[in-house]
Amino acid sequence: MAAQQSQGIQTLLEAEKEAAKIVQQARQYRVQKLKDARSEATKEIEEYKKAKERDFKAFEQSYAGTTSNAQTAVDNETEIKLQAISESYTRSKDLVVKKLLDRVVLVKPELHRNLKKLGA
Amino acid sequence: MSSRPLNDEEVLNQMNKMVAFIKQEALEKAREIRVKADEEFAIEKAKLVKQEQLAIDAQHEKRRKGVEVAQKIAQSTLTNKSRLKLLHRREEHLQDLFSTSRSSILSLATDEGRYVQFLEGVIIQAYLQILEPSVTVHSRKQDVDVVSRASESAATLYKEISGRDVEFEVQGTLSDEGAGGVKLISGTRRITLDNTLDERLRLLEDRMLPEIRKDLFGANENRKFYT
Repeated sequence: MAAQQSQGIQTLLEAEKEAAKIVQQARQYRVQKLKDARSEATKEIEEYKKAKERDFKAFEQSYAGTTSNAQTAVDNETEIKLQAISESYTRSKDLVVKKLLDRVVLVKPELHRNLKKLGA
Repeated sequence: MSSRPLNDEEVLNQMNKMVAFIKQEALEKAREIRVKADEEFAIEKAKLVKQEQLAIDAQHEKRRKGVEVAQKIAQSTLTNKSRLKLLHRREEHLQDLFSTSRSSILSLATDEGRYVQFLEGVIIQAYLQILEPSVTVHSRKQDVDVVSRASESAATLYKEISGRDVEFEVQGTLSDEGAGGVKLISGTRRITLDNTLDERLRLLEDRMLPEIRKDLFGANENRKFYT
């Protein structure tokens, strides 16, 4: 009778041990999952970062292109304007020189407006 | 429920039931733990990823803005350089104009008739400005005769216009390289009036700049207000 009882208890104890093992496995699984979360997140982040880098590089490229275009456009415009200036100058130069010379010799002597003519 | 002791078969049955029960409980607990673990995994991962994504986005936004600003700066520099070039060209032309006119006035003194008339006018103007009873008239050495005559008639005209007398003395002290004209100094040597051709041209160069600009290069399209 006592032997039977102790055998029964033994079986129960083993069953408990098994149960504990099962739960322990589940807990390990949980811990592992948490670690996985971290590593997988890092991986995803890397992917995202790379994608953004690529976007940015493309953006930079397009900008570099536009700047060199702008440079040539501005240079051309400037050249045209410079030409216009020089042409306009050569056209009007003589006229202005004549104007200047005429005015150099132009004299209009007047008595100051606050003064009056003296004497009889 | 019988209270008699259980026989062997019943005992075994009970045992198995209990064992199965313990196992079942364990499995359920384990399942719960796993499910919860999966949930937490997903949440944690999403949180980490989101966090980093935001940081990366902010960083890239900054860099992007930096590039835009740099581009705007470059554009502005280009425009500025272009404007400076235009202004530089205008300045060159202006200097050319002035040097041409400076050499042209040298020939003004050769036209005798006009030159005498000019001298007369200029000397009267000087008298009327200085308004002193005695002056010294300085001229170029080659002009002394012409200037003496001109000063004489100028003095008469001066008396007519202002009713005042003036006593003058002509000295040929001006540099021969000048273009002509006179310089008057009052008797007390305190007032100087430079009415030489060179000085008049210089004054004109300065005062006439707006008009010159308009004649040479056209009016300013961006200007809105004129007095």
